[in-house]
Amino acid sequence: MEQKELIKYIQENFKYDKNIQKIDDKQFSITVEKDKILNILSFLKLLDFKQLALITAVDWIKENRFEVVYILFSYSHIQQILVKTFIDRDKPEIETIKTLWEVASMYERDVHEFFGIDFIGNDDKRPLILHNWKDKPPLRKDFDSLKYSNKIFGKFKKDEEND
Amino acid sequence: MVNNYILRFLFAAFLSIILGLLYMGIGRKYIARIRRCYAGPFYQSYIDVIKLFSKKSISHNWIMDFGVMMGFAGIIATVIFLPIGPFTVFPDMKGNLIVIMYFMTIGYLGMAMGVAASGNPNATIGIARALALMVGYEIPFALAVILLVFVNKSSLLADIITTQQGSIFHWNAFRYPFAFVGSLIALQGMLGEQPFDAMIAPAEIASGPMVELSGKFLGFGFLQHGAQIFLETGIIAAMFLGGGTFLGFFTKQLFLYLVTLSIAAVFPRYRFEDAVKFFWIIPTSLVLIQLLIFLI
Amino acid sequence: MLLTSTKDLKDKGFEEILNFFRKKSLWMLHYCTGCGAVELPPTMTSRWDMERFGMGPMATPRQADLLLITGYLSVKSLKRVIYTYEQMQEPKWVIAFGSCPINGGIYYDSYSVINRLALYLPVDLSIEGCMPRPEAIIDGFTKLMKQIEKGEAIGYKKYKENYEWYKKNQREVLERTTPVLEQEE
Repeated sequence: MEQKELIKYIQENFKYDKNIQKIDDKQFSITVEKDKILNILSFLKLLDFKQLALITAVDWIKENRFEVVYILFSYSHIQQILVKTFIDRDKPEIETIKTLWEVASMYERDVHEFFGIDFIGNDDKRPLILHNWKDKPPLRKDFDSLKYSNKIFGKFKKDEEND
Repeated sequence: MVNNYILRFLFAAFLSIILGLLYMGIGRKYIARIRRCYAGPFYQSYIDVIKLFSKKSISHNWIMDFGVMMGFAGIIATVIFLPIGPFTVFPDMKGNLIVIMYFMTIGYLGMAMGVAASGNPNATIGIARALALMVGYEIPFALAVILLVFVNKSSLLADIITTQQGSIFHWNAFRYPFAFVGSLIALQGMLGEQPFDAMIAPAEIASGPMVELSGKFLGFGFLQHGAQIFLETGIIAAMFLGGGTFLGFFTKQLFLYLVTLSIAAVFPRYRFEDAVKFFWIIPTSLVLIQLLIFLI
Repeated sequence: MLLTSTKDLKDKGFEEILNFFRKKSLWMLHYCTGCGAVELPPTMTSRWDMERFGMGPMATPRQADLLLITGYLSVKSLKRVIYTYEQMQEPKWVIAFGSCPINGGIYYDSYSVINRLALYLPVDLSIEGCMPRPEAIIDGFTKLMKQIEKGEAIGYKKYKENYEWYKKNQREVLERTTPVLEQEE
């Protein structure tokens, strides 16, 4: 289907609140409520958006909320969809989608490690990339990376004797 | 020439090591020139060996020490039977080819024992490949030996050399060209050069048998490889190129080694099961054809 | 800081003769974490031809004399680098490539990239640049050779003498039990 037809089809057949925005010829975004995320993703999966390319998150610290983004791709429509939803920053929880895509459990583990978002139903919370991490998740906006780096790895001083 | 056997043996051992390392250095320069580089000086291998013996080394258990020594000693022991030009260590033992073939495996078996004791899986894979490859190249080589034994009614290298004297066209290389080509391919496998270097494969199994060898162990590995080059090119030179004086013999050895390297410089690597298959089909049938021609 | 001064550890006597052979045959193990790894293939092959100096790449730490840290080093790979360095046999040397192992480079504020390699391993020579060109690399290697000849490249001895100091620094990064920044809740 062309992008226009796709957008029209989703407008007509997906009943819940949504906000569809075109990004360019090959991709568009759909923003939905937090509890409708499984509905929209299974709806899109039936529409032949078979590949879950990535799950990621954005920290909107001033609005005190996280934006969770699911990126889907379809090989038959050659279209990419960004499914977005917002969750509360003080209580970062969202349902897991590992029942729809097995690979999602890995992405959710990654997002949990870097943003501290809990995926209800996904118990795999082992660290994936960071080594022995004890601080707050590093990609949150209130984490001061420079201060951390200077404190643990040492600040470079110009007059230090180079041994 | 000294009559004392120990001195004669030491002479042969040192000659094989020193000349083997020299061939190695010249070979490195030769390969570099093919690739349009310059490489180090021709005595680079000696520097490498001295450096390796000056390094500290780590041994995992006494079997590793013993195995590496046995690998080195196996090759040196085989050199005893090789007629180096007009010189043999024991003048009355004129280099029985069957004994030489039997002794040559000891080097590999010692190496296998040593590196398997080092406990690194890559080393075990590497030496298993080396032994599997041996099953491949021993077949054409053994057939070539059988041919020459048939022809000369003797398995002594000295006799084989004697029948080739007189003219360049009396050399077995010209009398039995198919067998010569088959043995050259077998030589390629014996020296472990491309395309038959699946046992070393630095990018794949981290240099195979040598993976845990450090310092003096790797130094012994170097010496073993040097002596191996001397021995194996020497056998082929005696079998097919008619031995000769000291200088002639060494030139023939170097020529054979450079031929091997010319092939090695332009070829990628066979997988080892493909390499074994290749040995059993191409060089084996070449030697077999020669054998049939001779019998008919 | 470090315990012993450089002068006490200099190579003496017979070592000086061996050093001539050591500098002529440096076998290197390149730890390809960062972007510097891409500068090495041209240095090794016919354009710049590192083999003229008797140098060559080696496959395992046991065989190598020289450890190249090519570019930035994350905490997770620092652990592997330390394993690798301790597996190498003496004498051994470390060369740090580019600005990242000197002061963090463009990763100066990263939470997972170390800033100074010299705190964790004894670096004999640093080649600055982001990344250094093959000419600079060759220049660095010749400088190291001169150091070795004079017996001044003694990083591995320093590591042994000041083992506690280096281990303390390594543990601070690798085996932390408390958060680095206070959590203000």
